[in-house]
Amino acid sequence: MAANIIRRVVFNLLTVITALILTGCWTPPNANVQPKGEPRLIQSGVPVESVQEQATVQAVDASLRIIRLKLSNGSLITCKVSQRVANFDQIQSGDMVKVTLTEELAIYVLKDGRLPVTGGTDEAVNFNAKVQLVDPSYRLLTLQYSNGQTEVLKTDLNAKLLEMQAGDAVVLQTAEAMAIRIQKQSVMAHETIPN
Amino acid sequence: MTTKGSLCLSSISLRTGIVVGVGTSLLMAAPASAALTPAEINDFRNTVGNRVEAATILGGDYGIGGGSYFSSGGNSKADINVSKFGGSGDVGDPQSLGNLGIGWQPSLQGSMGYLTAKNNFQSGLLDGDTSEYKTFAIQFGGGARFWFDDHFSISPTVMGMYGHTENTYTARSAFALANLPEAKQLGLIDWNVDTWTIRPSLNLQYEYTWHRTIFTLSSEPTYFYTESFRSSSPNLNVNGDSEAWVNKIDVDVPLGVELFGHELRTGGYFSRTDLFGDLQNGLNTSSVYEAHGRLVLDFLGELWKVKWIGLGGSYLWGDNIHGWSIGADVAFRF
Repeated sequence: MAANIIRRVVFNLLTVITALILTGCWTPPNANVQPKGEPRLIQSGVPVESVQEQATVQAVDASLRIIRLKLSNGSLITCKVSQRVANFDQIQSGDMVKVTLTEELAIYVLKDGRLPVTGGTDEAVNFNAKVQLVDPSYRLLTLQYSNGQTEVLKTDLNAKLLEMQAGDAVVLQTAEAMAIRIQKQSVMAHETIPN
Repeated sequence: MTTKGSLCLSSISLRTGIVVGVGTSLLMAAPASAALTPAEINDFRNTVGNRVEAATILGGDYGIGGGSYFSSGGNSKADINVSKFGGSGDVGDPQSLGNLGIGWQPSLQGSMGYLTAKNNFQSGLLDGDTSEYKTFAIQFGGGARFWFDDHFSISPTVMGMYGHTENTYTARSAFALANLPEAKQLGLIDWNVDTWTIRPSLNLQYEYTWHRTIFTLSSEPTYFYTESFRSSSPNLNVNGDSEAWVNKIDVDVPLGVELFGHELRTGGYFSRTDLFGDLQNGLNTSSVYEAHGRLVLDFLGELWKVKWIGLGGSYLWGDNIHGWSIGADVAFRF
């Protein structure tokens, strides 16, 4: 009796699975798509929790506690250095560092990289990455940078993730270095950030 | 599509019970007659074999929850405690399978558990005696999960399991004390047996996110084939088939409030497990329902590979069995 039931179930399952294989419509996550809806700013000042990045120090402004970093994904950022970073005076241009950043993002729907502005014109938005995947339940945003590298960020509770989708443009608005660990000290001279 | 898969360390637990009154009726009959009849030996093999098979699956299989059970049947009642550590997970993000429109990712499963079952005789010739079973089981295996769209996936897997079960009989009754040497010689008590189990299964899953709440419906028919490869008793060997079919609905709800810097999540699942073959006979029930609740903190993306950490608890019930578990609820995402 039980064996018959199982045999019937297995047969039905195999039929369903065969049908599914023939009609498979899974597609891998893709950031290079045009998001739905009119071009607009979805949200700015979206805080993301601390992320660790490998970076090379490009320049240091000791008086303003600002450094310019080239991240491993290829993007250049200028960020403040928190007072919590005790080894700031040891950091110099050319150092390879592991930095913990807190960032704020702005998320846009763009059309051909442009956003309409008042007066009927539009302007180009210089974005850093595109959204590849949104997990609103766990507040995860997977970004894809121009070099193809991806990064998963945990956003804050107020992020409007339900409005975000693959293909949205992401602009890094601000970043603050909360911790910096020097991995390889440079022998280059100290360089300052030009104003 | 979100990365799927989690490894749960479910139910570090205290629970009670299943039927363990095995072969003890033979203890009463056999020494008097000096030798077991073929029918009695067959009965002993079937009954104890089923129980060993059921204890090994209950003690070691990741799909069946750990905890404390109480079981009743026949003239005996028993308490069972199962401590278990294990789960399943899909590794990495799905990759395209050629141009079929199907995504796939490797899937791993593993579990280890320890089961103790104690039968206290409180009447008749064996009044005051206890018969105790201990089972250690460990299983590991894997397969792949195939995605047909962003919601529906199937995962065929195969696992292997090793189990060791031993019986210890403590005689206090005058009858048992008088017949203990003969009972031991016949292998009715104080035996131990090693088993292996092969476990193919097919998990079908549909996952849907509504706002921020994740609903997961799953169905998993599983087949177990168990065989003993070493036994201390000439009258005991295990060789049997079992099937289990788990149907489950899981809800995972983010609460939108933070505790210790992490978002609180709640949820749980309700499942029905239909049992067939020796597992049904060994546990003396045809189906088991489980209601599980949890309250956890979200660590995904914040602590390496950890999805959540919190507390969980279950209540299980069936025809002749009920039990509960409470313990740490930890899930990983790989």
